[in-house]
Amino acid sequence: MANIFPRFSNWLPIKILVCITIIAASVVSGMAYYFTPKYTRVGYQPTQPVAFDHSLHVNQLGMDCRYCHTGVEKSSHSNVPSTQTCMNCHTQIKSQSPKLSAVRESWKTGNPVPWVRIHKAPDYVYFNHAVHVNRGVSCVACHGHVNHMEVVYHAKPHSMGWCLECHRAPENHLRPLDQVTNLDWEPPAGTTQRELGEKYVKEWNVKPPVSCSGCHR
Amino acid sequence: MKRTIHHPPESKQGRTYWRSLGEYARTADFEEWLHREFPAGAAEWENDPLSRRNFIRLMGASLALAGLSLSGCRRPEAHLVPFTQSPEWVIPGKKLSFATAQPRRRGAIPLLATTFDGRPIKLEGNPLHPMSQGATDNHAQASILDLYDPARRQHLTRAGKKVQPAEWDAEISRIRDEAKSSAGASLAILADEQLSPTRERLRTDLQRQFPQLTWATYEPLSPGRDLEASSLVFGDNTEFRPNLSAASTILAIDCDFLGSDEGDINDTRGFASGRRTRKPGDSTNRLYVVEPRFTLTGTMADHRLRLRSSAAGPFLLELARQIRAAKPSADLNSLLSQSPDLSLPEGVDPAWIRECAADLVAHGNRSLILIGRRLPVPLQALGLALNAALGSVGSTLLVQPRRTSPSSTLAQLAGKIRSGSIQTLVILGGDPVYNAPADLNWTAIQSAVPNTIHLSPISNATSKASTWSVPGTHFLESWGDALAQDGSYLSIQPMIQPLWAGESQLELLCRLLGQPKPIGPALIRETFASRTSQSGEKLDQGWNDFVREGFLLSPSPTANQKTVNLNAVAGLLSRVENSPTEDPASLEAIFSQSGAVDDGRYANNGWMQEWPDPMTKLTWDNAILLSQETAQSLGLKNDIIKGILVADVVQATLQGRSIEAPALIVPGHANFTATLPLGYGQEDLGPVAKGAGFDAYRLRTTTADYQTTGLQLKRTGRTRELAVTQEHQVMEGRDLVREATVGEFQKNPAWVKTVGMDSHMPPNQTFYPSPKLDGMHQWAMVVDLSTCTGCNACVTACTAENNIPIVGKDQVMKGREMHWIRVDRYFTGEPDSPESVSQPIACMQCENAPCETVCPVNATVHNDEGLNVMAYNRCIGTRYCANNCPYKVRRFNFFDYNQRALDKLYWGPLAPKGTEETIKLQKNPNVTVRMRGVMEKCTFCVQRIEDAKITARVRARDSADLKIPTGTLKTACQQACPAEAIVFGDLLDESAEVTKLRALPQNYSLLEYLNVRPRLTYLGRIRNPNPAMPGARTSYIPSHGHGENHSQGHGEAHSASGHENSGDHK
Repeated sequence: MANIFPRFSNWLPIKILVCITIIAASVVSGMAYYFTPKYTRVGYQPTQPVAFDHSLHVNQLGMDCRYCHTGVEKSSHSNVPSTQTCMNCHTQIKSQSPKLSAVRESWKTGNPVPWVRIHKAPDYVYFNHAVHVNRGVSCVACHGHVNHMEVVYHAKPHSMGWCLECHRAPENHLRPLDQVTNLDWEPPAGTTQRELGEKYVKEWNVKPPVSCSGCHR
Repeated sequence: MKRTIHHPPESKQGRTYWRSLGEYARTADFEEWLHREFPAGAAEWENDPLSRRNFIRLMGASLALAGLSLSGCRRPEAHLVPFTQSPEWVIPGKKLSFATAQPRRRGAIPLLATTFDGRPIKLEGNPLHPMSQGATDNHAQASILDLYDPARRQHLTRAGKKVQPAEWDAEISRIRDEAKSSAGASLAILADEQLSPTRERLRTDLQRQFPQLTWATYEPLSPGRDLEASSLVFGDNTEFRPNLSAASTILAIDCDFLGSDEGDINDTRGFASGRRTRKPGDSTNRLYVVEPRFTLTGTMADHRLRLRSSAAGPFLLELARQIRAAKPSADLNSLLSQSPDLSLPEGVDPAWIRECAADLVAHGNRSLILIGRRLPVPLQALGLALNAALGSVGSTLLVQPRRTSPSSTLAQLAGKIRSGSIQTLVILGGDPVYNAPADLNWTAIQSAVPNTIHLSPISNATSKASTWSVPGTHFLESWGDALAQDGSYLSIQPMIQPLWAGESQLELLCRLLGQPKPIGPALIRETFASRTSQSGEKLDQGWNDFVREGFLLSPSPTANQKTVNLNAVAGLLSRVENSPTEDPASLEAIFSQSGAVDDGRYANNGWMQEWPDPMTKLTWDNAILLSQETAQSLGLKNDIIKGILVADVVQATLQGRSIEAPALIVPGHANFTATLPLGYGQEDLGPVAKGAGFDAYRLRTTTADYQTTGLQLKRTGRTRELAVTQEHQVMEGRDLVREATVGEFQKNPAWVKTVGMDSHMPPNQTFYPSPKLDGMHQWAMVVDLSTCTGCNACVTACTAENNIPIVGKDQVMKGREMHWIRVDRYFTGEPDSPESVSQPIACMQCENAPCETVCPVNATVHNDEGLNVMAYNRCIGTRYCANNCPYKVRRFNFFDYNQRALDKLYWGPLAPKGTEETIKLQKNPNVTVRMRGVMEKCTFCVQRIEDAKITARVRARDSADLKIPTGTLKTACQQACPAEAIVFGDLLDESAEVTKLRALPQNYSLLEYLNVRPRLTYLGRIRNPNPAMPGARTSYIPSHGHGENHSQGHGEAHSASGHENSGDHK
């Protein structure tokens, strides 16, 4: 009886199996990477029109976050500083630096500096800065150690699951109100973040919303 | 085993409530309608080759294709653009509120404008001002959309061609030269009524400079007869306004003071304050209404008499005689000595008038008679005289200095133009080409003037017919001032730079005076200084306070006018005539104001077009309103075909002029009278107004501007589909609205529990676990049906606050309107002269919400504060929730109403996508703009709740005091409601009003036997009928079948077990 199947077909089932495995594995790992919240822009580090160095201004010069982000304690939105804020100092310091030409240009023409947006909550999410920083959540909890960044990047996932991690267990992130903008703060020796956080949760009656309406309206 | 809840059969005894004539008659069409949630075709994909099955197939293929190219995962680069120099007070993301006011012809509305990032998005009433106290009406709410209307006039044109501003400047100096050479005789100004003291000041200056200048004012709906009557009775330079909060017995004759026709926010507020009955023993005012068509005021009436408008004269004379009989006085004797002896119209029971008069007399100075302000002068004067005889002048009827100064009328101006003396006519606002009396032939008159200039923010028929068309400013774009109804002085503060380089009326007048364009509020400040006679530092301080608070109260009128000139009235009474005999060939016509578009100025406002008329529930159209008997005698009918109301189109002829219009049969309308609502049928106003309704102005003449006879209606054989929301979302007669008389309420304060199913409810039990309600607040709302007038201001306020799209006539006919709150209007009694009640229905926020259990994706869930919340971004649009909602309050985005043109919804992806830029500016940034395929519903203004909570937390910082101050948080509907019928708050706050109201015995929830435990409950309506009146009902509580009497104990025994348990009832 003649061979119905040619010789190469002996290996065919294995080949098919291997292919399917590879495809399945890549689909699974692809989804695991791209479709999970971890992927959401973490590491995004665009080039800004002005090479503003946070680590220089905060760490070396000791400026507070709120010097520039003035609305953060009052508004839902943490504003980026107006050109005027930059020019408060830079009319005198480094007033001719070529790195600052875009700022001087903006000041002269009145056209704003088009900073590239790094952190963005989707339109259906209503995040409020004021309520977080006034109730002991530090900038570092969501933005990472910006004070050590020469160029700001997206440090945390900002996904819903990540938000809820803290909303369900706020004690892991609360700190004294005067340390909110001190990004390098550590719990004093002898206490742990958890102990301290639980104390604040109780004393301040912290009950972060975990229902949809907390953020979606 | 599956358990079904059997709704109780409708009670065959007692009163039945019906919402339309179709429902009353139980036609087959109506029965079919009742069993469908939406009109035919609404839920189906009809008339489209793409069936549901094919669609799924196609979608599957496109999904597979999409999977092949997983590109575009990264979000696009976006920019943050800060200010270069931060303006004072502005914090990005935070709202600012400024006091301002909306000018109106009868008194400006004090407002508080909310702006976000420099764009006004919402108007609220000024809470500090006594006339508003934070409330608004639907036109104030809707006027914000007018600001952003892309159809507004954007360019300066001459003879239809765009011109440069320099040419306009040259034209102004030419007009000045021309006027100078003729001492002003060649110049005429035709203005709308703004009640602006600064404009009056500039007018005086202008008349000083050009002594022979003609200044005319024209308002189609304010003929000024009330002022004429006031001059006669109270003396020159007086006017009157009602003070309803002091009135306990009110008679309104053809006067819709609770609707927008005659009234002010303060009238509704005052009436509601006298109406509010919270516990037995509270005083309740009584309202008698005599009117030809069913108005909002009629719905609140304890006794309503439908009467032709022409019969108001004989009625009023008979009333005067009865008042004299009840309270003999020499004044009334002399007043009535010359009065003609008229016969009462057929069907009017003299006992009605007698008892009404006796009641008015019994309440002395706390009674009030209101006469429609467009009725003939003799009637108005007689009304004022009767008020004086009752002693109500100074208590319920206030006399105050007149706010306007005399001007020429439109007819006088027309005469001057005909004589050829006018070379230049400047028209400030208004639209005389559209709304001038038809017999004047204004279009021809205006075109006889060599040079006409029209200044108006909207582009209308008059601007089309004018030589120069100059873009004006919206009141939120320019400085101004105005007088409120009580004569207080209001500042109008601009919120935004003119969107299209408009010029305000004050600026134009200033330039006509030869002065430079005023800078900022300089003109207003000058008026303020002269009114207050302040100067220097005191002026600075006073001015700042004035602008910040938005008003300056006028000193109370020195002495309330007590002397009344009755002789002048007595002489007029011979002019009162008998009402003509009823004749179907010669009907009586009434030109009514439209509650939606006013005199036509809001016709291009989508919110107002889609706003259901409170009585007819008609949207996107107007129609001639007729009673059933009149329609039958004319052979006219309204059919419901596939769920759509199809009305016969008639040809209406009056004095040789004719128009075609659909005829709508309405309950409670006077026979042989036709109501023609004005303001529609404007083709030149913009895309929204186009095709909406017919133009009734074309039949209206100078003398017959409100009521006339001789109207003929002829069937044309054609029909027109009308978009009524009336029979949508019907809830069969299940004792939804509960009413009792004051007496019944006093006998049993818990009477609501004896009505309908509540008295039969066995212990309830629930199958599903109740959500955990352990939040810091528990939100609830109570609506007081005694004070709700059904004015629908809440609907517009909700639309503005919650970014609710308009869907267009076609979609409304399919039952797809998006309003989150609707006002159901029920009729009860005979269709000829029924009573009516209104009931606002929003999401009930059920604790055991039926919608939540059926959502397959958890898009609608309960939060710990008792809110039934909606996560739009989770919703996949199964619409199961809407099907399972017993109250039918969920709204589905069948199309991308925010992104696609309403006339191209069915084009699918072929329709151009996007919204007008200016419309985007109006959107509330704190509310998601929903997309196609998403379910939505009332959220109890969750954005305001969260904002209040956040504010409390920001204030608390490291303390545990998170209390939201009682009364600071209001929902949009509550804030707008002038009757304060809607109360919202936190049930855990014992001092909150809502907590107290929910504990009242007359508090009930809709369909309580379903055990859904609504958070929105109602206070049963208390009526105050006069038992002595003929045909007065003594009982409003329907019996529910037991036959035995229902003692208080009965009600208690049932209600005590009502709440915690659940179950069905067989």
